[in-house]
Amino acid sequence: MIGLLCAWSAAEHVFHFNPIIMPSPGAIGDAFLANYRRLFRETGITMEESVLGFLLGSFGAYLVAIFFVYSRTFQQAVYPYAVALKSTPLIAIAPLLVLWFGNGLFSKIVMSALVAFFPVLVNSAKGLTAVDPEALDLMKSLSASRWQVLTKIRVPNSLSYLMAGLKIASSLAVVGAVIGEFTGATEGIGHLINTSSYYLETPLMFAGVFMISLGGILFFGLMAFLERKIVFWQEPAH
Amino acid sequence: MSPSAPILEIRELNKVYHSGRDSVPAIGSVSFSVGRGEFVAIIGPSGCGKSTLLKIIGDLLEPSAGFVSVDGLSAHQARLKGRFSFVFQNPVLLPWRRIIDNVRLPLEVLGRHSREPEQLLQMVGLAGFEKRYPQELSGGMQHRAALARALTFDPQLLLLDEPFGALDEFTRDALNQQLLQIWQETGVTILFVTHGIGEALFLADRVIVLSGRPATVREAFKVPFPRPRPDALKETEYFQEVVKSLREKLE
Repeated sequence: MIGLLCAWSAAEHVFHFNPIIMPSPGAIGDAFLANYRRLFRETGITMEESVLGFLLGSFGAYLVAIFFVYSRTFQQAVYPYAVALKSTPLIAIAPLLVLWFGNGLFSKIVMSALVAFFPVLVNSAKGLTAVDPEALDLMKSLSASRWQVLTKIRVPNSLSYLMAGLKIASSLAVVGAVIGEFTGATEGIGHLINTSSYYLETPLMFAGVFMISLGGILFFGLMAFLERKIVFWQEPAH
Repeated sequence: MSPSAPILEIRELNKVYHSGRDSVPAIGSVSFSVGRGEFVAIIGPSGCGKSTLLKIIGDLLEPSAGFVSVDGLSAHQARLKGRFSFVFQNPVLLPWRRIIDNVRLPLEVLGRHSREPEQLLQMVGLAGFEKRYPQELSGGMQHRAALARALTFDPQLLLLDEPFGALDEFTRDALNQQLLQIWQETGVTILFVTHGIGEALFLADRVIVLSGRPATVREAFKVPFPRPRPDALKETEYFQEVVKSLREKLE
């Protein structure tokens, strides 16, 4: 990281980049210090949208996954729509959502939720069904009810898959919120990045990008931490 | 063993698998009965349908024909009443539960309380490991925990499908002795499916020999060794002769 900054500064002095296109780390630092309150506020708003959208999308996806387990018809009916949704580029949906849900936070939350939905759905559905068949035999031999099998076997088994899906979804949710803000917003870091690029305030734009990256990294880190705590029985992947 | 009516009766059991236009007969016609508290071993060549047979008896699979009667009830009724207990080659312990909670699982599901999980863990030699998680235990210990779990709810019929097959010889012998001990203490009726002729003859009161697919009963005979049977029995000439003659008969 330090090395990168040094190389960047050095290149700056040697090549004299156009400050509008490629500002020096120093200029970005200045922009940061001058606007830190605004940067934190806007990032907070975007993170709020991301987290709420993430929760909405993940929760919905897990419930749908549970229904998938118990109804093949439901699965066959709904899954194609989920795939279609996932395949449609975010940018294309965003204006529609702003049209329907307005310029405020809600349209961004919906956007986040939509992008978080698919990875959580796929992973949860897998986790709920990829159970050792002998575990299911065991439960059947004890004449367990479907609810008992769900709560005692399927749900705990799904947790490692779910957490993997949540890690992916956390990053996507942030992307979703930012793209939503690009399309139509009055607040948020995406909005800040957008407007600062219009006004050619590139150092501020860079600062904004840095802030939201940090937000995304922290969110992901939180999910990774929760994964270790919740799926405590799993060997760490690394 | 007991002069009263057999606890398990199997009459002309038949199982055919259909896939598309093909039909694969797994079990041809199997009939036998098992007395209360008996230890019966079922042996036969690989793929002959031993596991299928066990699952049909325990109502995990439906037969194509024939019937199973467990103490007067159908297999289905018996399963719903929690009369069966299965032990598979894979101990199937839930990794998110401590050992004691794993052993407790059948009691939670059935909603009844028969034997104290702690006592059973002590019986299988796992006292002190209650709070551990399955992945902290060796393979042999996991199998012992699975045995303890299989008994918490006082089943009538213990159905074991090559339970210790994945373990090394020494651990397997130890676990077989453990099983005999449990059998002596609880008096449960046991059906033990195995590959090993020697193992079957060492453990069981009676051995049922299945033919290759589709399975039928080739032979059913009483094991000629008296109890108790120490491990040393396996070294005796008599034992090895019996094993040899049975092996020759099967080939």
